Amino acid sequence: MRLGLTAAFALAASPLFAQGEEVTIRGEIIDTWCYFSGVMGGPEAVQGTSHHTCAIWCSAGGIPVGLLGDDGTVYMILSINGDDQSASGQTQLELASHEVTAQGRLFARDGLNYLVIDAVLEDHGITNINHVDFGVIPGFAIPNPEG
Amino acid sequence: MLRYLIPAVMLAAPAMAQDAPDFSATSEARSWNLAFEEPARFEAEVVDMLCEVAGDCDNACATGRQLGLLRAADGVLTYPNKNAQGIFTGAAVDLHPFCGMQVEVDGLLIDDDFVGAINVYLVQRIRTVGAEEWTRANGWTDNWAELNPEEAELDGRWYRNDPRVMAEINGEGYLGTGESWQEAWDLTR
Repeated sequence: MRLGLTAAFALAASPLFAQGEEVTIRGEIIDTWCYFSGVMGGPEAVQGTSHHTCAIWCSAGGIPVGLLGDDGTVYMILSINGDDQSASGQTQLELASHEVTAQGRLFARDGLNYLVIDAVLEDHGITNINHVDFGVIPGFAIPNPEG
Repeated sequence: MLRYLIPAVMLAAPAMAQDAPDFSATSEARSWNLAFEEPARFEAEVVDMLCEVAGDCDNACATGRQLGLLRAADGVLTYPNKNAQGIFTGAAVDLHPFCGMQVEVDGLLIDDDFVGAINVYLVQRIRTVGAEEWTRANGWTDNWAELNPEEAELDGRWYRNDPRVMAEINGEGYLGTGESWQEAWDLTR
């Protein structure tokens, strides 16, 4: 029993846990608040081209960005390529709605997944062309060009 | 080994075996009519997320880093994604003056397993533990106006005038895929 307890506590406090799990994940850089809260509709509508302008607004506005993995898991991004400006930072702003392949360290804490991106291995650009299905979300994101 | 390890993990995490504390009883948070919101008022330490989660603490509490709330009652890390202002504004600016301090917060807790939202928080007001006065978590736009005084004088909301936002939209378009303003408008009507 003592060995079991020691193993459990050692696991929780081990350097491996503190350093995170090395991962490579492909997914889309998303605006987490709209995705999590449902404030603007279902999750499929608050990503991709449909939501691109809002994703820029939310990233600039300091809402945490996430990486929506191909498997549907959301990873909260804490830094990208050493840029720790995760609230309104420029690196993440320029990647809004982009599909990327990212290499980094994964941490799990109280139900959320967190990602420290050490390198964006490839920026695939914006590949989720969903405005054909959802229009633009929110509807006022694109102002009328005629005023 | 496993038959010992599994009970040991349960002993090491007693909170898992208990119901979560009720943080709604004394909350005065305003509803946003979100499907999975729950009012939640609790005491917490304001922590630097990169430091707390990944141990990167050299610039802890520096401007521009996300901040979290390490709940006093159960040690759960909640992530304030949103402040109390209407839309598009996060909580880090409002929490920043309190980083490293023990505070009381009131707001909405979002737990929605379907989208992976667990312990996500919208903070509406903050005060240090024991203080009388609350601070409304609505300081983002004032902070933006201080940083962008010329743009703040223009007509329209901040997000229509922010130079970094406009640079992105001018570069990639409203849909992000290079369409002109008119083309993006026509495609989404």
